[in-house]
Amino acid sequence: MSADKFLSYFSGERFINELSATSKDEVLIEMSKILSDDEDIRDPELLLDMIRNRESLGSTGLGKGIAVPHGRSSAARQTKVVFARSSKGIEFDAMDGELCRLFFLIVAPYEDRKQEYLPLLGKIVETVNQETIREKLLEVGDFDQFQEIVREALSE
Amino acid sequence: MSDRVQKLVTYQDLELMIRDAEDPARMKQEASLGFEVGGLEALKKRLSDLEIEISKKDIRHYRRVGRKYERAVVLVIDKICHGCFQSLPTSRTRQVSDEGPLPTCENCGRILLWL
Repeated sequence: MSADKFLSYFSGERFINELSATSKDEVLIEMSKILSDDEDIRDPELLLDMIRNRESLGSTGLGKGIAVPHGRSSAARQTKVVFARSSKGIEFDAMDGELCRLFFLIVAPYEDRKQEYLPLLGKIVETVNQETIREKLLEVGDFDQFQEIVREALSE
Repeated sequence: MSDRVQKLVTYQDLELMIRDAEDPARMKQEASLGFEVGGLEALKKRLSDLEIEISKKDIRHYRRVGRKYERAVVLVIDKICHGCFQSLPTSRTRQVSDEGPLPTCENCGRILLWL
């Protein structure tokens, strides 16, 4: 997946530089709400229901400070990703028991005709598995910087 | 949005999520990425809890449509039903009452959710 393609799922409107959430559920609420005005999403409440349900299948806190809540929804027309950071870190039931600081919320439609959901999920995990990228993302200031970091990561 | 349709959408998403969770190949993929996927029974419990909140009439309708199609509830985008991709009449209303019929496509019968 090219950097341009990868970055097409993100946007400045879906970039949360510092979460105000202090708990796992507040993270899911705050990240879902950012999609309220998105023309490709019917209702963030429906996404929230879906994401909460996915968490009951198993935590999406991967460890190393990363969480990737994700799922497919009947209320979504396009695949979207919300990025968020918490400097303090938030308890997210991560496998290693550590607080999570970097969050990627992925919402995809059920049709997924372009077969992009799982490759995108894999690419995000692969990208944040790089320690240097995680360190840079923890210091990211704005969406332009975020794009630079991702481009650099995917060009290596 | 109608609370009735909203609950059916959540119900459908849960059913589809359970179907995915019962697919060993799909779960193997997710697990290989590092995600926990062992909570199938918790998902099923959520589904049965939610079903209690939905009227029997709406569940029957949902199941009837679901027997014909993979998804009973589909989006309406630009007055097009995204189940059968037919145009809906301009008079088609997105209003749903608490008691009346669910909004459905006149062509395919799927339950409609306006984007």
